[in-house]
Amino acid sequence: MKKTLALTAFLLGAALAGPANNSLVVGTSQEPPNIYDPWNTNNLAITSEINGYMGAGLTYQDDDGTTKADIATRVPTLGNGDYKVVKDSKGDVIRNSVTYTIRKDAKWSDGTPIKVADFQFWLKLENDDRVPVPDRDPWDRAKITVNDADTFTITFEPPYLFADQVSPGLAPSHIMSAAWNAFDAKTKNEKDAKVTNEEWKKFISSFTTARSLPKVVAGPFKPTAWRTGNSLTMTRNAAYWNQPKNPENYVQTVTYRFIPNTNTLKVNILSGQLDAVSAVGLTFDQGTDLARNERNKYKTYFVPGAVWEHIDINARGQRAKDLDLDDPRMRQALLYAIDRDALTKALFQGKQAVSNSWIGPVSKLYKKDVTDYNLNVAKAKQLFAALGWTPGSDGILQKGGKKLTLNFSTTAGNSTRERVQQILQAQWKAVGVQVNIQNYPASVIFGPDFLSKGESGKWDMAMYAWSNNPVFEEGNLWKSEGIPTAANGYSGQNNPGWNNAEYDKLYKQAKVEFNQADRIKLFDRMQAVWNSEVPSLPLYFRVNVYTKVPGLVNYTFSAITQYPSWNAANIGWASKGAVEEYKQK
Amino acid sequence: MGTYALRRVIQMIPLLLVISLLIFALTALQPGDPVDQLVFGNSNITPDDIARLKAAYGLDQPWFTRYFFWLKQAITGNFGYSQDFGIPALEFVFQSRLPNTLLLTVPALIISTLIAVPLGIFSAVRQYSPLDYILTFFAFLAVSAPVFWVGALALYFFAVYLPGATGGALSLPPGGLGSPDLPADASAWAVFADKLKYLLLPMMILMLREIAVTLRFMRANMLETLTQDYVRTARAKGLADRRVLYKHALRNAVTPIVTLLGLSIPGLFGGAVITETVFSWPGMGKAILDALVSKDFNVVMVCLMMLAVLTVVFQLLTDLAYAIVDPRIRYA
Repeated sequence: MKKTLALTAFLLGAALAGPANNSLVVGTSQEPPNIYDPWNTNNLAITSEINGYMGAGLTYQDDDGTTKADIATRVPTLGNGDYKVVKDSKGDVIRNSVTYTIRKDAKWSDGTPIKVADFQFWLKLENDDRVPVPDRDPWDRAKITVNDADTFTITFEPPYLFADQVSPGLAPSHIMSAAWNAFDAKTKNEKDAKVTNEEWKKFISSFTTARSLPKVVAGPFKPTAWRTGNSLTMTRNAAYWNQPKNPENYVQTVTYRFIPNTNTLKVNILSGQLDAVSAVGLTFDQGTDLARNERNKYKTYFVPGAVWEHIDINARGQRAKDLDLDDPRMRQALLYAIDRDALTKALFQGKQAVSNSWIGPVSKLYKKDVTDYNLNVAKAKQLFAALGWTPGSDGILQKGGKKLTLNFSTTAGNSTRERVQQILQAQWKAVGVQVNIQNYPASVIFGPDFLSKGESGKWDMAMYAWSNNPVFEEGNLWKSEGIPTAANGYSGQNNPGWNNAEYDKLYKQAKVEFNQADRIKLFDRMQAVWNSEVPSLPLYFRVNVYTKVPGLVNYTFSAITQYPSWNAANIGWASKGAVEEYKQK
Repeated sequence: MGTYALRRVIQMIPLLLVISLLIFALTALQPGDPVDQLVFGNSNITPDDIARLKAAYGLDQPWFTRYFFWLKQAITGNFGYSQDFGIPALEFVFQSRLPNTLLLTVPALIISTLIAVPLGIFSAVRQYSPLDYILTFFAFLAVSAPVFWVGALALYFFAVYLPGATGGALSLPPGGLGSPDLPADASAWAVFADKLKYLLLPMMILMLREIAVTLRFMRANMLETLTQDYVRTARAKGLADRRVLYKHALRNAVTPIVTLLGLSIPGLFGGAVITETVFSWPGMGKAILDALVSKDFNVVMVCLMMLAVLTVVFQLLTDLAYAIVDPRIRYA
């Protein structure tokens, strides 16, 4: 009877979602290539979000940035002795280590206890050259020492600044070892990397894809069905230890629906087909549009994020010298000439906060009292004049027969950025700077021959975004070693080519400063130096837009947690008895 | 005819090789590669990491070296893995995407042909009648209206407005492939009914355009045929209108439709990228577009080579069919 009713309901078009059967249907615009790949060989946001439902770590951070224990019995701290920092005779930290004890009730979804071997297995593969892990920081300098059956120590040498906050991965060695050994035997003497890579794909795809779902998981939910191009369903994992009180009151099934077209995603929200939207889904404009049509069916949230929108100024090469882009005064003048407050009010209803640093307000390292560069046309003109740029007969600034004409590039097709460009172009024109918009596809902008090749004068100004986890901020975006050159294989992200000796010195000190209060002081100064020279024009921090229907509790995220799945075990419906612990800030 | 067909089949081999080389070159010479997408935004990545990843993906070698590696593997039936989906590219295309596309495009083509051909004939026979004007107006409208716009309107109307106006009694799903909450043990009929519900909207939108194109084409052919001498002669001999139309004119008017259908078939396999995008229907069109954007080489190669093979094969079949339907054509 129940089955007949269910079939009748969906054949008539009614979604059987939400509190009715204690399930959750989430809409997203992306489908992950694979799920629960312990080595995270693709770095897509949607993969991280979905993995959050199925994964567990030794520790995790909540929305406020507080570290909590999950697989581990407690969080390692200097106070409880589980976090150790070793210094040499000069007082320099030479290594640090964290000790974890695995909870007795921590089990894989098949009931097998989680063991130290699972962490060792993960670390071994993480550092194996045949495994295409994008980057191995900090695990390439980590070593695991087994203390007893459930306790182990991870030592970082050289030391890792966030050793007490980062959790290593783990992989089910009892499930994967045999396949790994076969892969190892097959590829040990293989010279051709492409052959090895094909074998790796064979190995990993047998545990992470739609046709071979993960055999076991450690987190609150386990995958049960994945229909590619359509949906992925996960059901509550009874073997998970960190359950809320009365787990039956919380969501039992989570289904992700993959709707690549964001307008179609919007229609799904309006038609009540979705209980919530993923952090990877809606654009800002769609969010504002949805906010106007809520009618108590759902609520729209704008969550301050960690994605920093900015305009890099190319200070490298002869062209930059000719245009004075390598002079901080020129960059300051360009910043004083634009009205960022008005821009965010006009385009983002003031919901995206104007920034004056690359570090967001959510971070403990954020420095509030730096120069704010509010619109000041008189000051901008004064700075241009100080550099020798005077208005010509056509109103465009010129110096030595050269006009101040700048090329301004961003990712073509991004309508928000294109609108920002047009507003800024008009504002710069008002002070005598001619700006030519030259946009390229994202593959060109982020490809090997554009941003990193500033020396050749391919661009003057480039607008794009950086995404930084505020917890793990190192300040390495602006180190001079990070200027992409032929010598370093064009790696590093200091695309503007900013080279500041004081910043470099402070950055090196901060990198090994394990005392939080002292680090904050160093970052205060780093931000002051950066802000005085503005190698990049800071615009604003983007917000993440999502919707959820009323009554869905603990479906929240912040710039620190990034995805609502961080608290997967506690997501539920108030009408089913789920208790609200976290409210969306 | 047999010799001709064999000669054409032999000619296909070098042609397909050239096509594969061109596709590979054009894809490989696009700016950026899959590693760039892993690297960008990651400030911890080192030059060693980049070199290691490029080597692992074979991207440290010139494109023609990679092409010959691909060709050598492809000859043995190994088309590699999809970078984006982690499964063999062949499996991704033929199991995950092609069935969805054919489910959408084949019925759409068949139904729209069955509707459009009689309407086209009717429109031609009753030229300048009110119905002819209505059909012509509809055809121009359907051809001119952008699919993404009509699709979005249809989505809003059937998934948001209609359920609201009828208290949920009437509605169609707003895109997708099927109900995610369909019970795993649902009967075949329930699965089919569910799929059909999701298929209706995209198929309707696809058919609108197909009907309009075929209708215009059929009408033009029929009008041209009706002015031929032999039709006039048949009428002069006092044959009944119905006999003149269906016995004499229709067969010749339908001949070009064979070409139209023959050349449409490879397109069926290529999917309908805009319709699939608007309705989140995971088919071939969307797969090709996504693979090109994300530089999923193996998927691009499988999709485009499949289309190339189908195009040359159906071109040959169309030519052979011509000889069957038109006695004036003979191949040697």
